[in-house]
Amino acid sequence: MDTETILKKGLTMRKLGLWIVCLGIALGVLACAKKQPATGPANKGPKKLKIAVIPKGTTHVFWKSVEAGAKKAGAELGVEIVWKGPLKESDRADQIKLVEQFVAEGIDGIVLAPLDSEALARPVLNAMQKKIPVVIFDSALKGEPGKDFVSFVATNNRKGGSMAGEQLAKLLGDKGKVVLLRYAVGSASTEEREAGFLETLKTKPDMTMLVDNRYGGATVGESKNEAMKLIDKLKEADGVFCPNESSTLGMLGALRDNNLAGKTTFIGFDATPPLVEALEKGEIKALIAQDPTRMGYEGVKTLVAHIKGEKVPPVVDTGVRLITPENLNDPEIKKFLGRE
Amino acid sequence: MNPSPELTTPSRFSAGELIGKLGPLIGLVFVLALFSILAPATFPTLNNFELILRQTAVVGTAALGMTLIIIAGGIDLSVGSGIALYTVVIALLLRGGVHPLLAAAGGIAAAAFCGGVIGFLITRLGLAPFIITLGMWGVLRGAAKGLANNSMVYPPATGLNELLQPLSADFIWFLTPGAWIMLVLAAVVALMLRYTRFGRHIFAIGSNEQTARLCGIHVENTKLRIYMLAAAFAGVAGILQFSYLTMGDPTTADGMELNIIAAVVIGGASLSGGQGSVLGSLVGALIMTIVSNGCTKMGLANWVEQIVTGCIIVLAVALDRLRQRRMS
Repeated sequence: MDTETILKKGLTMRKLGLWIVCLGIALGVLACAKKQPATGPANKGPKKLKIAVIPKGTTHVFWKSVEAGAKKAGAELGVEIVWKGPLKESDRADQIKLVEQFVAEGIDGIVLAPLDSEALARPVLNAMQKKIPVVIFDSALKGEPGKDFVSFVATNNRKGGSMAGEQLAKLLGDKGKVVLLRYAVGSASTEEREAGFLETLKTKPDMTMLVDNRYGGATVGESKNEAMKLIDKLKEADGVFCPNESSTLGMLGALRDNNLAGKTTFIGFDATPPLVEALEKGEIKALIAQDPTRMGYEGVKTLVAHIKGEKVPPVVDTGVRLITPENLNDPEIKKFLGRE
Repeated sequence: MNPSPELTTPSRFSAGELIGKLGPLIGLVFVLALFSILAPATFPTLNNFELILRQTAVVGTAALGMTLIIIAGGIDLSVGSGIALYTVVIALLLRGGVHPLLAAAGGIAAAAFCGGVIGFLITRLGLAPFIITLGMWGVLRGAAKGLANNSMVYPPATGLNELLQPLSADFIWFLTPGAWIMLVLAAVVALMLRYTRFGRHIFAIGSNEQTARLCGIHVENTKLRIYMLAAAFAGVAGILQFSYLTMGDPTTADGMELNIIAAVVIGGASLSGGQGSVLGSLVGALIMTIVSNGCTKMGLANWVEQIVTGCIIVLAVALDRLRQRRMS
């Protein structure tokens, strides 16, 4: 056998291997796809409504709670829920792509947490023009609720931020130096919280801001890095506030690494299990919590009501709560946190 | 690893070359067929195909420039950061009251300048393009954030916002202007690569830089021009990205350089230079969009989508390698 034949034989083997890989992937995709009809419509009877719920990202615990709420509403109302976030967390262009894809598909409705109040306005407008109703939740969108989109379902974020400011002032006896680590540029919900917080602190003459212009960024890791850079200020500070889950977790990590956890009066936002744990340990003095499950639930419910021709309110407030080590064991708070 | 010079000279289509050109197209037909079977109700529709083309415009346009660079044996990791910077430049110009056309030209000029800097550093410092552009990846991203004052830049609405908007339902066949920009530029680059002296020099440098030098090609100057031209295409991609977002966003297109490089490589280019085609790169970009679109249509979770995309990149290149071995 000359080398050429050997080579050829090797090639055919390799080719075969490649086709097997190819087939494997195709089958894998198929298998994943097969799961769909199980959760999908039973195909008999009237056509089931299909609604897309688009969060800002899919990995935060917060969004998992939203997903749970949305799916719960879907199950109660007999609606198919498609849960899909941008492939790259917090990528505006990616989220616009998603909205366009669902519109092109002619889905029955969209529940959207916009990553940017301006960038998503045009795609939403296009959807509404094509008679695909959109409910906005969590973060605001440019335009008038009830007209440019069906309804705005969200926490009153300014109230939440202001609540954090009041609690911090109370814990510090109305005086002290404060660090605010912001979340990310252009996110309406957290900017409202930051504004509410700063507004409240301005009414306390003996409280001063050490830092109020730093952004933690979209992930826990970035926030921790940013907090680490502020370590001199953190050592000097009496109180610290962060406006969402990832910035609070990032800050918590930085405080822990520098033995400041529990010493600095730290107030965070959102009540996910790791944060509540830190609250129990006394590393966090208070948490302001939104109700993500309710947000997902109300978002879907409002949209379905609208599709069915009912009149829906243009703004739905899903409420905020103050959680402290003292009220952590109240039955009502326990239920809220799902810790029963 | 590099193909023999005969393969890269402008020659008539040989049978092998034809197969080489068709390879990525077969891949395109394969993914189209796959998703048409898996999501028959929602995937193969006119609206969806128009959308796929529209959503490919940014990566496709930037891939034109990347094709030139990769054929010449280089790489540019800073494109994504660059695109973000150019959206910011355009938005700032618009906010300053500049005419939209001039603002767009400003974006391209800024891009060409950045490309010039990259080309200058690569040729004068003699460092690997990988290192220089890795550095520029940070520099341009930082510059974008600084220029935008660490925030989004919201300009007044202008005609630039319409480049990537869908046309009204009756005219959807005519495609959005952004798709036309990509297609026309692609045709220009393809002709340039095949028929101009500059185009042939790009292949010659990528195949064997020493030989190219001995043949009397001014390698440094040509490289400088390649990086400037490629960056100008990134500038056009920046205009399209700006149009898509309707604002300047210093955080946008994070990691897009990898999608762009993947598109070029799926399209049959070799990272060791000397090989690549414009048609292939466009097809590569389309395949990436189609996979993402199809996965959404099928309701797959993001992690599945990412794994599938990754597998397709490896598979495409592996098949390409196989094809080339058979040819030689």
